[in-house]
Amino acid sequence: MDMFLQQLVTGISIGSVYALLAVGYALVFSVFNFSNFGFGPVMMLGTFSAFYAIPLLHLPLLPSILLAMVVAGLISFLMELTVYRPMRKKKTLKLYLMIAGLGINTFIPNAAIQIFGGGVHPFPSDWARATIQLNTIAVPRSDILAAVLSLVMLAALWLFLYKTRTGLGIRASSLDTDTAGLMGINVNFVAMIVFLLSGAAAGLAGCFYGMKYSVFPNMGAIASKGFVASTIGGLGSLAGAVISGLLLGFLETMIAAYGSSTYRDLIAYALLVIVLIFMPRGILGKGMQDKL
Amino acid sequence: MGYLEGIAISASINIVCICGLVILTGYIGLFSMGHASFMCIGAYAAAILTKYYSFPFIIALLIGGAIAALSSLIIGVPTLRGKMSADCFAIATLGFGEAVRIIMSNISHPYFGGARGMSGIPAYMNLGWALALAFVSIVLTLNYARSQHGKLALAIRDHQDASELIGINIFREKIKCLMYSAFFCGIGGGMMAHYYTYMVPNVFNATISNNLLTSVVLGGVSSVTGPAMGTAILTFLPEVLRFLSNWRLAIYGLVMVLIMRMRPEGLLAHKEIHQPIVQLVRFIRSRTVRSTDSGRG
Repeated sequence: MDMFLQQLVTGISIGSVYALLAVGYALVFSVFNFSNFGFGPVMMLGTFSAFYAIPLLHLPLLPSILLAMVVAGLISFLMELTVYRPMRKKKTLKLYLMIAGLGINTFIPNAAIQIFGGGVHPFPSDWARATIQLNTIAVPRSDILAAVLSLVMLAALWLFLYKTRTGLGIRASSLDTDTAGLMGINVNFVAMIVFLLSGAAAGLAGCFYGMKYSVFPNMGAIASKGFVASTIGGLGSLAGAVISGLLLGFLETMIAAYGSSTYRDLIAYALLVIVLIFMPRGILGKGMQDKL
Repeated sequence: MGYLEGIAISASINIVCICGLVILTGYIGLFSMGHASFMCIGAYAAAILTKYYSFPFIIALLIGGAIAALSSLIIGVPTLRGKMSADCFAIATLGFGEAVRIIMSNISHPYFGGARGMSGIPAYMNLGWALALAFVSIVLTLNYARSQHGKLALAIRDHQDASELIGINIFREKIKCLMYSAFFCGIGGGMMAHYYTYMVPNVFNATISNNLLTSVVLGGVSSVTGPAMGTAILTFLPEVLRFLSNWRLAIYGLVMVLIMRMRPEGLLAHKEIHQPIVQLVRFIRSRTVRSTDSGRG
Protein backbone atom coordinates (compact mmCIF):
# COMPACT_ATOMS: atom_id res chain seq x y z
CA MET A 1 0.00 0.00 0.00
CA ASP A 2 2.81 2.37 0.91
CA MET A 3 4.53 1.60 -2.32
CA PHE A 4 1.31 2.28 -4.18
CA LEU A 5 0.86 5.67 -2.50
CA GLN A 6 4.49 6.54 -3.17
CA GLN A 7 4.06 5.67 -6.83
CA LEU A 8 0.82 7.62 -6.93
CA VAL A 9 2.64 10.77 -5.78
CA THR A 10 5.30 10.28 -8.44
CA GLY A 11 2.61 9.59 -11.02
CA ILE A 12 0.74 12.76 -10.20
CA SER A 13 3.84 14.93 -10.34
CA ILE A 14 5.05 13.57 -13.69
CA GLY A 15 1.46 13.58 -14.87
CA SER A 16 1.17 17.28 -14.09
CA VAL A 17 4.25 17.89 -16.26
CA TYR A 18 2.56 16.02 -19.12
CA ALA A 19 -0.72 17.84 -18.47
CA LEU A 20 0.96 21.26 -18.70
CA LEU A 21 2.73 20.30 -21.92
CA ALA A 22 -0.47 18.85 -23.36
CA VAL A 23 -2.33 22.07 -22.52
CA GLY A 24 0.38 24.02 -24.36
CA TYR A 25 -0.15 21.91 -27.47
CA ALA A 26 -3.93 22.04 -27.14
CA LEU A 27 -3.98 25.86 -26.88
CA VAL A 28 -2.12 26.31 -30.15
CA PHE A 29 -3.99 23.51 -31.90
CA SER A 30 -7.41 24.77 -30.86
CA VAL A 31 -6.84 28.18 -32.47
CA PHE A 32 -4.61 27.42 -35.44
CA ASN A 33 -5.35 23.75 -36.15
CA PHE A 34 -1.72 22.73 -36.32
CA SER A 35 0.59 21.19 -33.76
CA ASN A 36 3.55 23.24 -32.73
CA PHE A 37 6.29 20.63 -33.04
CA GLY A 38 8.82 23.24 -31.94
CA PHE A 39 7.42 23.05 -28.42
CA GLY A 40 10.14 20.91 -26.81
CA PRO A 41 12.89 23.51 -27.35
CA VAL A 42 10.67 26.18 -25.76
CA MET A 43 10.48 24.10 -22.62
CA MET A 44 14.22 23.38 -22.71
CA LEU A 45 15.23 27.04 -23.11
CA GLY A 46 12.87 28.13 -20.33
CA THR A 47 14.36 25.58 -17.96
CA PHE A 48 17.89 26.60 -18.88
CA SER A 49 17.09 30.23 -18.11
CA ALA A 50 16.05 29.21 -14.57
CA PHE A 51 19.03 26.88 -14.39
CA TYR A 52 21.43 29.75 -15.07
CA ALA A 53 19.47 32.42 -13.15
CA ILE A 54 19.61 30.62 -9.80
CA PRO A 55 23.41 30.47 -9.42
CA LEU A 56 24.25 33.60 -11.44
CA LEU A 57 21.57 36.06 -10.27
CA HIS A 58 21.03 34.36 -6.87
CA LEU A 59 17.29 34.28 -7.53
CA PRO A 60 15.11 32.28 -5.13
CA LEU A 61 13.21 29.32 -6.53
CA LEU A 62 9.80 30.87 -7.22
CA PRO A 63 11.05 33.98 -9.06
CA SER A 64 13.34 31.80 -11.14
CA ILE A 65 10.42 29.57 -12.11
CA LEU A 66 8.55 32.72 -13.05
CA LEU A 67 11.55 33.81 -15.10
CA ALA A 68 11.54 30.43 -16.89
CA MET A 69 7.87 30.91 -17.72
CA VAL A 70 8.44 34.41 -19.07
CA VAL A 71 11.47 33.39 -21.13
CA ALA A 72 9.69 30.32 -22.52
CA GLY A 73 6.63 32.42 -23.36
CA LEU A 74 8.74 34.99 -25.17
CA ILE A 75 10.62 32.34 -27.12
CA SER A 76 7.37 30.70 -28.11
CA PHE A 77 6.03 34.07 -29.26
CA LEU A 78 9.27 34.79 -31.13
CA MET A 79 8.82 31.47 -32.96
CA GLU A 80 5.30 32.49 -33.97
CA LEU A 81 6.49 35.94 -35.04
CA THR A 82 9.46 34.82 -37.16
CA VAL A 83 8.33 31.46 -38.53
CA TYR A 84 4.66 30.63 -38.15
CA ARG A 85 3.00 34.02 -38.73
CA PRO A 86 4.65 34.77 -42.10
CA MET A 87 3.87 31.23 -43.21
CA ARG A 88 0.25 31.53 -42.09
CA LYS A 89 -0.04 34.79 -44.01
CA LYS A 90 1.05 32.99 -47.17
CA LYS A 91 -1.65 30.38 -46.46
CA THR A 92 0.81 27.52 -46.85
CA LEU A 93 -0.21 23.91 -46.29
CA LYS A 94 -0.43 22.76 -42.68
CA LEU A 95 2.19 20.17 -43.53
CA TYR A 96 4.77 22.90 -44.07
CA LEU A 97 4.02 24.49 -40.69
CA MET A 98 4.59 21.16 -38.99
CA ILE A 99 7.82 20.50 -40.90
CA ALA A 100 9.05 23.97 -39.93
CA GLY A 101 8.24 23.10 -36.31
CA LEU A 102 10.16 19.88 -36.66
CA GLY A 103 13.08 21.86 -38.07
CA ILE A 104 13.03 24.10 -35.00
CA ASN A 105 12.92 20.95 -32.89
CA THR A 106 16.11 19.75 -34.60
CA PHE A 107 17.87 23.09 -34.75
CA ILE A 108 17.55 24.47 -31.22
CA PRO A 109 18.50 21.39 -29.15
CA ASN A 110 21.51 20.63 -31.35
CA ALA A 111 22.63 24.26 -31.23
CA ALA A 112 22.09 24.17 -27.45
CA ILE A 113 24.32 21.11 -27.15
CA GLN A 114 27.11 23.09 -28.83
CA ILE A 115 26.49 26.21 -26.70
CA PHE A 116 25.58 24.83 -23.25
CA GLY A 117 27.43 21.53 -23.63
CA GLY A 118 25.72 18.16 -23.73
CA GLY A 119 26.03 17.50 -20.00
CA VAL A 120 23.20 16.44 -17.71
CA HIS A 121 22.85 18.70 -14.67
CA PRO A 122 20.74 18.61 -11.52
CA PHE A 123 18.34 21.49 -11.02
CA PRO A 124 20.21 23.88 -8.69
CA SER A 125 17.72 24.10 -5.86
CA ASP A 126 18.34 22.36 -2.53
CA TRP A 127 14.94 23.38 -1.22
CA ALA A 128 13.14 21.37 -3.88
CA ARG A 129 15.23 18.27 -3.36
CA ALA A 130 14.33 17.86 0.32
CA THR A 131 11.55 15.41 1.15
CA ILE A 132 8.64 15.66 3.55
CA GLN A 133 7.72 12.60 5.57
CA LEU A 134 3.97 12.03 5.40
CA ASN A 135 3.07 9.08 7.58
CA THR A 136 4.97 6.28 5.87
CA ILE A 137 5.68 7.84 2.49
CA ALA A 138 8.34 10.37 1.61
CA VAL A 139 7.20 13.12 -0.71
CA PRO A 140 9.79 15.35 -2.38
CA ARG A 141 8.93 19.02 -2.04
CA SER A 142 9.30 19.40 -5.81
CA ASP A 143 6.40 16.98 -6.35
CA ILE A 144 4.11 19.00 -4.10
CA LEU A 145 5.23 22.21 -5.76
CA ALA A 146 4.60 20.68 -9.19
CA ALA A 147 1.09 19.55 -8.30
CA VAL A 148 0.15 22.85 -6.61
CA LEU A 149 1.63 25.20 -9.19
CA SER A 150 0.21 23.25 -12.14
CA LEU A 151 -3.19 23.40 -10.51
CA VAL A 152 -2.83 27.15 -9.99
CA MET A 153 -1.67 27.61 -13.57
CA LEU A 154 -4.54 25.55 -14.99
CA ALA A 155 -7.10 27.35 -12.82
CA ALA A 156 -5.71 30.72 -13.87
CA LEU A 157 -5.84 29.63 -17.48
CA TRP A 158 -9.45 28.53 -17.11
CA LEU A 159 -10.42 31.83 -15.45
CA PHE A 160 -8.62 33.74 -18.18
CA LEU A 161 -10.30 31.82 -21.01
CA TYR A 162 -13.81 31.85 -19.55
CA LYS A 163 -14.07 35.09 -17.54
CA THR A 164 -12.25 37.74 -19.58
CA ARG A 165 -12.92 39.45 -22.88
CA THR A 166 -9.59 38.35 -24.32
CA GLY A 167 -10.41 34.79 -23.34
CA LEU A 168 -13.71 35.08 -25.13
CA GLY A 169 -11.80 36.24 -28.21
CA ILE A 170 -9.54 33.22 -28.00
CA ARG A 171 -12.47 30.86 -27.66
CA ALA A 172 -14.17 32.53 -30.60
CA SER A 173 -11.03 32.14 -32.70
CA SER A 174 -10.80 28.49 -31.75
CA LEU A 175 -14.20 27.91 -33.34
CA ASP A 176 -13.30 29.59 -36.59
CA THR A 177 -10.19 31.71 -36.85
CA ASP A 178 -11.11 33.40 -40.13
CA THR A 179 -14.65 34.33 -39.10
CA ALA A 180 -13.40 35.60 -35.74
CA GLY A 181 -11.04 37.85 -37.67
CA LEU A 182 -13.97 39.19 -39.70
CA MET A 183 -15.92 39.87 -36.48
CA GLY A 184 -13.28 42.30 -35.30
CA ILE A 185 -11.15 40.02 -33.19
CA ASN A 186 -7.49 40.80 -33.67
CA VAL A 187 -6.24 37.35 -34.64
CA ASN A 188 -2.61 38.38 -34.38
CA PHE A 189 -3.20 39.52 -30.80
CA VAL A 190 -4.92 36.22 -30.04
CA ALA A 191 -1.95 34.41 -31.56
CA MET A 192 0.40 36.38 -29.32
CA ILE A 193 -1.57 35.51 -26.18
CA VAL A 194 -1.93 31.87 -27.16
CA PHE A 195 1.75 31.38 -27.91
CA LEU A 196 2.79 33.29 -24.75
CA LEU A 197 0.49 31.15 -22.60
CA SER A 198 1.52 27.86 -24.15
CA GLY A 199 5.18 28.85 -23.80
CA ALA A 200 4.64 29.74 -20.15
CA ALA A 201 3.05 26.34 -19.52
CA ALA A 202 6.06 24.72 -21.18
CA GLY A 203 8.49 26.74 -19.02
CA LEU A 204 6.68 25.66 -15.87
CA ALA A 205 6.59 22.03 -16.97
CA GLY A 206 10.28 22.18 -17.86
CA CYS A 207 11.23 23.43 -14.38
CA PHE A 208 9.33 20.58 -12.73
CA TYR A 209 10.85 18.06 -15.08
CA GLY A 210 14.30 19.49 -14.33
CA MET A 211 13.67 19.26 -10.57
CA LYS A 212 12.39 15.72 -10.81
CA TYR A 213 15.01 14.42 -13.22
CA SER A 214 17.69 16.71 -14.62
CA VAL A 215 18.40 19.60 -16.96
CA PHE A 216 19.95 18.78 -20.33
CA PRO A 217 19.69 20.14 -23.89
CA ASN A 218 17.63 17.22 -25.22
CA MET A 219 15.03 17.40 -22.45
CA GLY A 220 12.58 18.82 -24.97
CA ALA A 221 12.06 15.28 -26.25
CA ILE A 222 9.69 14.77 -23.31
CA ALA A 223 7.34 17.23 -24.98
CA SER A 224 6.40 14.51 -27.46
CA LYS A 225 4.73 12.69 -24.54
CA GLY A 226 2.80 15.89 -23.87
CA PHE A 227 1.73 15.80 -27.49
CA VAL A 228 0.65 12.19 -27.13
CA ALA A 229 -1.38 13.23 -24.09
CA SER A 230 -3.05 16.04 -25.99
CA THR A 231 -3.88 13.65 -28.85
CA ILE A 232 -5.31 11.08 -26.46
CA GLY A 233 -7.39 13.77 -24.78
CA GLY A 234 -8.71 14.96 -28.12
CA LEU A 235 -6.68 17.47 -30.15
CA GLY A 236 -7.42 20.99 -29.02
CA SER A 237 -9.39 20.07 -25.92
CA LEU A 238 -7.96 21.61 -22.73
CA ALA A 239 -9.86 19.43 -20.25
CA GLY A 240 -8.98 16.32 -22.23
CA ALA A 241 -5.33 17.37 -22.24
CA VAL A 242 -5.25 17.68 -18.45
CA ILE A 243 -7.04 14.39 -17.83
CA SER A 244 -4.99 12.37 -20.27
CA GLY A 245 -1.74 13.99 -19.09
CA LEU A 246 -2.42 12.87 -15.53
CA LEU A 247 -3.59 9.46 -16.75
CA LEU A 248 -0.43 9.01 -18.78
CA GLY A 249 1.83 9.95 -15.86
CA PHE A 250 -0.06 7.59 -13.57
CA LEU A 251 0.06 4.64 -15.99
CA GLU A 252 3.74 5.17 -16.72
CA THR A 253 4.84 5.14 -13.10
CA MET A 254 2.59 2.22 -12.24
CA ILE A 255 3.89 0.12 -15.10
CA ALA A 256 7.48 1.06 -14.33
CA ALA A 257 6.93 0.13 -10.66
CA TYR A 258 4.98 -3.12 -11.03
CA GLY A 259 5.85 -4.20 -14.55
CA SER A 260 8.89 -3.60 -16.68
CA SER A 261 10.71 -0.26 -16.68
CA THR A 262 12.24 -1.11 -20.07
CA TYR A 263 8.95 -0.59 -21.81
CA ARG A 264 7.95 2.48 -19.76
CA ASP A 265 8.51 4.83 -22.67
CA LEU A 266 6.32 2.73 -24.92
CA ILE A 267 3.22 3.04 -22.72
CA ALA A 268 2.42 6.47 -24.09
CA TYR A 269 2.54 5.32 -27.71
CA ALA A 270 0.72 2.06 -27.05
CA LEU A 271 -2.02 4.01 -25.28
CA LEU A 272 -2.12 6.43 -28.22
CA VAL A 273 -2.64 3.65 -30.76
CA ILE A 274 -5.29 1.95 -28.60
CA VAL A 275 -7.20 5.19 -28.04
CA LEU A 276 -7.02 6.09 -31.72
CA ILE A 277 -8.38 2.69 -32.72
CA PHE A 278 -11.42 2.87 -30.44
CA MET A 279 -11.91 6.63 -30.06
CA PRO A 280 -10.47 8.33 -33.14
CA ARG A 281 -11.34 11.76 -31.77
CA GLY A 282 -9.70 11.19 -28.42
CA ILE A 283 -11.26 10.98 -24.99
CA LEU A 284 -12.90 14.41 -24.95
CA GLY A 285 -12.64 15.49 -28.57
CA LYS A 286 -16.29 15.97 -29.48
CA GLY A 287 -15.75 17.63 -32.79
CA MET A 288 -15.50 21.23 -33.79
CA GLN A 289 -18.14 22.64 -31.42
CA ASP A 290 -16.59 22.75 -27.99
CA LYS A 291 -12.88 22.71 -28.17
CA LEU A 292 -11.81 24.94 -25.32
CA MET B 1 38.90 5.55 -54.22
CA GLY B 2 37.49 3.40 -51.46
CA TYR B 3 36.50 6.58 -49.64
CA LEU B 4 34.58 7.99 -52.59
CA GLU B 5 33.04 4.59 -53.18
CA GLY B 6 31.84 4.52 -49.58
CA ILE B 7 30.20 7.92 -49.94
CA ALA B 8 28.58 6.88 -53.21
CA ILE B 9 27.18 3.74 -51.60
CA SER B 10 25.82 5.72 -48.61
CA ALA B 11 24.26 8.20 -51.01
CA SER B 12 22.65 5.36 -52.99
CA ILE B 13 21.24 3.79 -49.82
CA ASN B 14 19.79 7.15 -48.84
CA ILE B 15 18.34 7.61 -52.34
CA VAL B 16 16.52 4.28 -52.11
CA CYS B 17 15.00 5.30 -48.75
CA ILE B 18 14.13 8.76 -50.08
CA CYS B 19 12.31 7.26 -53.06
CA GLY B 20 9.71 5.91 -50.66
CA LEU B 21 9.50 9.02 -48.54
CA VAL B 22 9.02 11.23 -51.59
CA ILE B 23 5.69 9.59 -52.27
CA LEU B 24 4.62 9.90 -48.63
CA THR B 25 5.69 13.49 -47.99
CA GLY B 26 5.94 15.10 -51.39
CA TYR B 27 2.86 13.55 -52.95
CA ILE B 28 0.24 12.65 -50.39
CA GLY B 29 1.38 15.22 -47.86
CA LEU B 30 1.87 13.09 -44.77
CA PHE B 31 5.09 13.34 -42.92
CA SER B 32 6.78 10.76 -40.80
CA MET B 33 9.12 11.16 -37.86
CA GLY B 34 9.99 7.49 -37.64
CA HIS B 35 10.80 5.97 -40.99
CA ALA B 36 14.11 4.74 -39.59
CA SER B 37 12.01 2.03 -37.93
CA PHE B 38 11.09 0.59 -41.33
CA MET B 39 14.77 0.64 -42.28
CA CYS B 40 15.43 -1.24 -39.04
CA ILE B 41 12.78 -3.88 -39.76
CA GLY B 42 13.92 -4.33 -43.35
CA ALA B 43 17.55 -4.51 -42.28
CA TYR B 44 16.95 -7.17 -39.64
CA ALA B 45 14.70 -9.25 -41.89
CA ALA B 46 17.12 -9.19 -44.81
CA ALA B 47 20.18 -9.80 -42.66
CA ILE B 48 18.63 -12.78 -40.88
CA LEU B 49 17.57 -14.28 -44.21
CA THR B 50 21.00 -13.98 -45.78
CA LYS B 51 23.03 -14.84 -42.70
CA TYR B 52 21.11 -17.81 -41.29
CA TYR B 53 19.09 -19.07 -44.23
CA SER B 54 21.57 -18.11 -47.00
CA PHE B 55 18.90 -16.52 -49.16
CA PRO B 56 20.08 -14.76 -52.33
CA PHE B 57 20.78 -11.07 -51.64
CA ILE B 58 18.12 -9.50 -53.82
CA ILE B 59 15.34 -11.82 -52.63
CA ALA B 60 16.25 -11.14 -49.00
CA LEU B 61 16.10 -7.41 -49.70
CA LEU B 62 12.67 -7.70 -51.30
CA ILE B 63 11.32 -9.81 -48.44
CA GLY B 64 12.74 -7.29 -45.95
CA GLY B 65 10.98 -4.50 -47.81
CA ALA B 66 7.74 -6.46 -47.87
CA ILE B 67 7.89 -7.11 -44.12
CA ALA B 68 8.56 -3.41 -43.50
CA ALA B 69 5.58 -2.54 -45.70
CA LEU B 70 3.31 -4.94 -43.81
CA SER B 71 4.48 -3.60 -40.45
CA SER B 72 3.59 -0.08 -41.58
CA LEU B 73 -0.04 -1.17 -41.38
CA ILE B 74 0.29 -1.22 -37.58
CA ILE B 75 0.43 2.56 -37.50
CA GLY B 76 -1.28 3.22 -40.80
CA VAL B 77 -4.62 1.58 -40.06
CA PRO B 78 -5.40 3.33 -36.75
CA THR B 79 -4.08 6.78 -37.68
CA LEU B 80 -5.11 7.24 -41.31
CA ARG B 81 -8.78 6.32 -40.99
CA GLY B 82 -11.57 8.84 -41.43
CA LYS B 83 -10.74 12.50 -41.08
CA MET B 84 -7.87 12.01 -38.66
CA SER B 85 -5.46 14.87 -38.61
CA ALA B 86 -1.98 14.37 -40.04
CA ASP B 87 -0.62 15.26 -36.59
CA CYS B 88 -1.83 11.93 -35.21
CA PHE B 89 0.02 10.10 -37.94
CA ALA B 90 3.24 12.07 -37.32
CA ILE B 91 3.28 11.41 -33.59
CA ALA B 92 2.34 7.76 -34.10
CA THR B 93 5.30 7.28 -36.43
CA LEU B 94 7.55 8.86 -33.82
CA GLY B 95 6.22 6.40 -31.27
CA PHE B 96 6.55 3.48 -33.68
CA GLY B 97 10.19 4.42 -34.29
CA GLU B 98 10.91 4.38 -30.57
CA ALA B 99 8.96 1.16 -30.10
CA VAL B 100 10.84 -0.73 -32.81
CA ARG B 101 14.17 0.46 -31.45
CA ILE B 102 13.37 -0.55 -27.87
CA ILE B 103 11.84 -3.90 -28.87
CA MET B 104 14.80 -4.77 -31.10
CA SER B 105 17.18 -3.88 -28.26
CA ASN B 106 15.37 -6.21 -25.89
CA ILE B 107 14.80 -9.29 -28.04
CA SER B 108 16.90 -12.01 -26.48
CA HIS B 109 16.67 -14.39 -29.46
CA PRO B 110 20.22 -15.22 -30.66
CA TYR B 111 19.41 -14.22 -34.26
CA PHE B 112 18.72 -10.63 -33.22
CA GLY B 113 21.42 -10.13 -30.60
CA GLY B 114 19.50 -7.60 -28.52
CA ALA B 115 21.19 -4.27 -27.86
CA ARG B 116 24.55 -5.59 -29.09
CA GLY B 117 23.02 -5.99 -32.51
CA MET B 118 23.96 -8.32 -35.35
CA SER B 119 27.39 -8.83 -36.78
CA GLY B 120 28.86 -11.04 -39.46
CA ILE B 121 26.23 -10.15 -42.02
CA PRO B 122 27.50 -11.18 -45.47
CA ALA B 123 29.00 -8.19 -47.31
CA TYR B 124 26.98 -8.47 -50.51
CA MET B 125 26.74 -4.73 -51.04
CA ASN B 126 29.06 -3.10 -53.54
CA LEU B 127 29.04 -0.03 -55.71
CA GLY B 128 27.42 -1.81 -58.66
CA TRP B 129 24.50 -3.12 -56.60
CA ALA B 130 24.08 0.22 -54.85
CA LEU B 131 23.94 2.28 -58.03
CA ALA B 132 21.70 -0.24 -59.77
CA LEU B 133 19.23 -0.37 -56.89
CA ALA B 134 19.19 3.43 -56.58
CA PHE B 135 18.56 3.76 -60.32
CA VAL B 136 15.79 1.17 -60.31
CA SER B 137 14.14 2.83 -57.29
CA ILE B 138 14.20 6.23 -58.96
CA VAL B 139 12.70 4.86 -62.18
CA LEU B 140 10.00 2.93 -60.30
CA THR B 141 9.11 5.94 -58.18
CA LEU B 142 9.01 8.24 -61.20
CA ASN B 143 6.60 5.85 -62.86
CA TYR B 144 4.53 5.58 -59.68
CA ALA B 145 4.38 9.37 -59.40
CA ARG B 146 3.35 9.80 -63.02
CA SER B 147 0.75 7.03 -62.84
CA GLN B 148 -2.81 7.38 -61.63
CA HIS B 149 -1.66 6.55 -58.09
CA GLY B 150 0.61 9.59 -57.96
CA LYS B 151 -2.09 11.84 -59.38
CA LEU B 152 -4.63 10.63 -56.80
CA ALA B 153 -2.07 11.29 -54.07
CA LEU B 154 -1.54 14.86 -55.32
CA ALA B 155 -5.28 15.44 -55.42
CA ILE B 156 -5.62 14.29 -51.80
CA ARG B 157 -2.75 16.50 -50.67
CA ASP B 158 -4.15 19.59 -52.31
CA HIS B 159 -7.78 19.13 -51.34
CA GLN B 160 -8.83 16.16 -49.30
CA ASP B 161 -12.54 16.96 -49.17
CA ALA B 162 -12.82 17.68 -52.87
CA SER B 163 -10.97 14.52 -53.81
CA GLU B 164 -13.24 12.49 -51.57
CA LEU B 165 -16.25 14.05 -53.32
CA ILE B 166 -15.08 12.85 -56.72
CA GLY B 167 -14.91 9.34 -55.35
CA ILE B 168 -11.34 8.75 -54.24
CA ASN B 169 -10.95 6.28 -51.39
CA ILE B 170 -8.69 8.44 -49.24
CA PHE B 171 -7.86 5.76 -46.70
CA ARG B 172 -6.77 3.30 -49.39
CA GLU B 173 -4.62 5.83 -51.18
CA LYS B 174 -2.92 6.90 -47.95
CA ILE B 175 -2.24 3.32 -46.91
CA LYS B 176 -0.87 2.60 -50.39
CA CYS B 177 1.55 5.51 -50.15
CA LEU B 178 2.59 4.55 -46.63
CA MET B 179 3.27 0.94 -47.65
CA TYR B 180 5.18 2.08 -50.72
CA SER B 181 7.40 4.31 -48.59
CA ALA B 182 7.92 1.64 -45.93
CA PHE B 183 8.85 -0.88 -48.64
CA PHE B 184 11.64 1.29 -50.00
CA CYS B 185 12.89 2.20 -46.54
CA GLY B 186 13.01 -1.51 -45.74
CA ILE B 187 15.09 -2.16 -48.84
CA GLY B 188 17.38 0.75 -47.95
CA GLY B 189 17.82 -0.72 -44.48
CA GLY B 190 18.68 -4.10 -45.95
CA MET B 191 21.26 -2.49 -48.21
CA MET B 192 22.74 -0.70 -45.20
CA ALA B 193 23.01 -3.94 -43.21
CA HIS B 194 24.81 -5.72 -46.04
CA TYR B 195 27.16 -2.81 -46.57
CA TYR B 196 28.33 -2.26 -42.97
CA THR B 197 28.00 -6.02 -42.16
CA TYR B 198 26.99 -5.21 -38.57
CA MET B 199 24.26 -3.16 -37.00
CA VAL B 200 22.82 -2.22 -33.63
CA PRO B 201 19.20 -1.12 -33.13
CA ASN B 202 20.31 2.30 -31.88
CA VAL B 203 21.62 3.21 -35.34
CA PHE B 204 18.03 3.53 -36.53
CA ASN B 205 17.13 6.50 -34.34
CA ALA B 206 15.13 9.66 -34.83
CA THR B 207 18.17 11.44 -36.32
CA ILE B 208 18.06 9.20 -39.40
CA SER B 209 14.33 9.82 -39.82
CA ASN B 210 14.96 13.53 -39.53
CA ASN B 211 17.77 13.46 -42.08
CA LEU B 212 15.53 11.64 -44.54
CA LEU B 213 12.81 14.23 -44.05
CA THR B 214 15.32 17.08 -44.48
CA SER B 215 16.44 15.67 -47.83
CA VAL B 216 12.87 15.44 -49.08
CA VAL B 217 12.12 18.98 -47.94
CA LEU B 218 15.33 20.31 -49.45
CA GLY B 219 14.80 18.53 -52.75
CA GLY B 220 11.24 19.68 -53.20
CA VAL B 221 7.72 18.32 -53.11
CA SER B 222 6.08 16.65 -56.11
CA SER B 223 9.48 15.77 -57.48
CA VAL B 224 11.39 12.50 -57.35
CA THR B 225 14.80 13.42 -58.69
CA GLY B 226 14.87 16.62 -56.63
CA PRO B 227 14.92 14.85 -53.26
CA ALA B 228 17.26 12.22 -54.69
CA MET B 229 19.63 15.05 -55.54
CA GLY B 230 18.94 16.60 -52.12
CA THR B 231 20.01 13.47 -50.30
CA ALA B 232 23.09 13.13 -52.48
CA ILE B 233 24.02 16.71 -51.53
CA LEU B 234 23.35 16.05 -47.85
CA THR B 235 25.56 12.94 -47.98
CA PHE B 236 28.46 14.65 -49.76
CA LEU B 237 28.41 18.05 -48.03
CA PRO B 238 29.28 16.84 -44.49
CA GLU B 239 32.38 15.20 -45.94
CA VAL B 240 33.50 18.49 -47.45
CA LEU B 241 32.47 20.60 -44.45
CA ARG B 242 34.23 18.50 -41.84
CA PHE B 243 35.07 21.54 -39.69
CA LEU B 244 31.34 22.11 -39.14
CA SER B 245 30.62 18.50 -38.22
CA ASN B 246 29.49 19.32 -34.65
CA TRP B 247 26.94 21.76 -35.98
CA ARG B 248 25.69 19.44 -38.72
CA LEU B 249 22.37 18.54 -37.10
CA ALA B 250 21.71 22.12 -36.04
CA ILE B 251 22.31 23.22 -39.63
CA TYR B 252 19.95 20.52 -40.93
CA GLY B 253 17.24 21.89 -38.66
CA LEU B 254 17.93 25.46 -39.73
CA VAL B 255 17.83 24.44 -43.40
CA MET B 256 14.47 22.82 -42.81
CA VAL B 257 13.04 25.95 -41.17
CA LEU B 258 14.49 28.33 -43.76
CA ILE B 259 13.24 26.30 -46.71
CA MET B 260 9.75 26.06 -45.22
CA ARG B 261 9.84 29.80 -44.55
CA MET B 262 11.26 30.99 -47.90
CA ARG B 263 10.40 28.34 -50.45
CA PRO B 264 8.20 25.67 -48.87
CA GLU B 265 7.93 23.73 -52.09
CA GLY B 266 11.70 23.03 -52.00
CA LEU B 267 14.45 23.44 -54.58
CA LEU B 268 12.97 21.45 -57.45
CA ALA B 269 9.25 21.54 -56.78
CA HIS B 270 7.05 19.97 -59.48
CA LYS B 271 10.15 19.53 -61.66
CA GLU B 272 12.48 16.67 -62.43
CA ILE B 273 16.18 16.92 -63.20
CA HIS B 274 15.88 15.13 -66.50
CA GLN B 275 13.03 17.34 -67.71
CA PRO B 276 15.23 19.85 -69.60
CA ILE B 277 16.87 16.97 -71.48
CA VAL B 278 13.53 15.41 -72.35
CA GLN B 279 12.26 18.79 -73.49
CA LEU B 280 15.38 19.33 -75.59
CA VAL B 281 14.97 15.96 -77.24
CA ARG B 282 11.30 16.68 -77.93
CA PHE B 283 12.17 20.12 -79.28
CA ILE B 284 14.81 18.72 -81.63
CA ARG B 285 12.49 15.95 -82.74
CA SER B 286 9.66 18.40 -83.43
CA ARG B 287 12.05 20.61 -85.44
CA THR B 288 13.29 17.69 -87.52
CA VAL B 289 9.74 16.45 -88.06
CA ARG B 290 8.65 19.91 -89.13
CA SER B 291 11.61 20.29 -91.49
CA THR B 292 10.87 16.94 -93.13
CA ASP B 293 7.22 17.99 -93.39
CA SER B 294 8.12 21.27 -95.00
CA GLY B 295 10.59 19.43 -97.22
CA ARG B 296 7.74 17.29 -98.45
CA GLY B 297 5.43 20.22 -98.87
